[in-house]
Amino acid sequence: MVDDIESDDNWNDDFLAELIADVEENRNIIECISCGKCVGECPASKISNFNIRKIIQKILRGDKSVLKEDDIWYCFLCEKCKRVCPREGINIPLLIINLRNESFKKGYGPRYNDLTKYVEMAERFLTSGVVVEEQLGNKLPQEMIDELNEICNFARIKYVFKASKTNKNKRKKRK
Amino acid sequence: MEFNSLALDLDEIESKYPENPLDFFRNKKLCLFKACLEKYFPGVRWGIHDLLEELNLDISVCENQSCCSGTFFQRNLITRAQFAAINERNLSELNQQADVVLFSCNGCYNSLLRGRDFLKNPDVKRKTQEILSRLKAKSSGKNYPGKYEILDNPKLKLVHDLDLLYLIRNDVLNTLKFDLKKLKVAVHYGCHYLNLSRDKKTADAYLRDKTKLDELVLLFGGKPVEYQEKEACCGWGASQIVIHPKEALKITYNKLKSAENVDADFMLMPCPTCLYTLSKPEYREKINKYYKEKLDIPTIHINELIAILRGCEEERCITLRRKTPRLDEIYSIITQD
Repeated sequence: MVDDIESDDNWNDDFLAELIADVEENRNIIECISCGKCVGECPASKISNFNIRKIIQKILRGDKSVLKEDDIWYCFLCEKCKRVCPREGINIPLLIINLRNESFKKGYGPRYNDLTKYVEMAERFLTSGVVVEEQLGNKLPQEMIDELNEICNFARIKYVFKASKTNKNKRKKRK
Repeated sequence: MEFNSLALDLDEIESKYPENPLDFFRNKKLCLFKACLEKYFPGVRWGIHDLLEELNLDISVCENQSCCSGTFFQRNLITRAQFAAINERNLSELNQQADVVLFSCNGCYNSLLRGRDFLKNPDVKRKTQEILSRLKAKSSGKNYPGKYEILDNPKLKLVHDLDLLYLIRNDVLNTLKFDLKKLKVAVHYGCHYLNLSRDKKTADAYLRDKTKLDELVLLFGGKPVEYQEKEACCGWGASQIVIHPKEALKITYNKLKSAENVDADFMLMPCPTCLYTLSKPEYREKINKYYKEKLDIPTIHINELIAILRGCEEERCITLRRKTPRLDEIYSIITQD
């Protein structure tokens, strides 16, 4: 007799319903037949515990532990899983982006200050419109950089940018 | 399959212009999308620019274009609507000056099609238009009709450089001064070229093996070689190499090693992000440190290779890439008389 086996009583579709409310396409994961082709072809599964088959099973059971665990942050978003999946319409990369959003919202995601490279890239994007120092050719006109800033209002990229400014000020004060 | 109508319909061009598909592009305005990582590999830009100029096509870049912002969307730093709004802003500017936009980067190409696909969701479309309307209200620069509207039916079409080069391969071949001297080439397509469904009309086109780069190598006098990790990711993995470097570099190591195992002379790819990952000296050094193996296979973008084969000056083809292992050797072999 196995004591810790999950009983059907623990299953609920609340988590899935939340994900569908955010991205309708997530409804298609019900069609998953757990064949594991996605895992076999997945680069992230080769180097980490990322296992999309298990993640989908957890979501379908209503188990939100996937939001706390590191695994979802290892996805390469390479879209191979989408190509090899025998079912139609299962969009795993979009599901992962959705899960990461939920994880951020609950405060589990990586802290902004840990995203050092992104701080630099966010800063360049919001001050020059590009993510690498300078492009071949001219810089984006200022009014268009203002437009990009307006588009990104209230986005996490703005908070990352603010974090970079706060860090710089702190460093200046220390000096 | 849901074909994104923004993608250039290559089959249609081939059927309408069976003699010479290049004729489709005559009297059309072409624009090169500026990929951020071209900064490190200027030959990626000049390679295609100079070729198309020699073929007497009308070619430009769009000064008002921003980064595609795919990297921020993939890292959850902007929403789908914000990503789509950045995309629409770029598309509006590009639509003003071009009929066809060319992409040297798998990521940028995927981003522009993806941003457009997101608008199929009514909620995202509404939010995107709200953002664009806010821009209109605050607009301070040059304006033109429809600048801040979601484009209903843009004349603009998008095409990946590799698809274009393949389509006009016979004309490309005629511009070449050198051939590949039977060099063994390990071809790498990159995930967002291999696994892209948005520009495919049929499931067969989406699922079947991709061969265009292999075919170009053959046409140019090289030998494409099969290797175990041919379809594997370069290791960039939507910035995994930045966030989990040791783990992601295992993927890069496997890829490079697999190509070296079959004695490939160099690796060829159609994406500057893959090129950055597979060639960056810092990554090669880390691979050496983590996996105790020094890998020195050279890496080249298809646009750079075209430039070398056309006899462009070394500085223009591969400048700033002096640190890429053994690239000068490949350059010398190809350009020797």
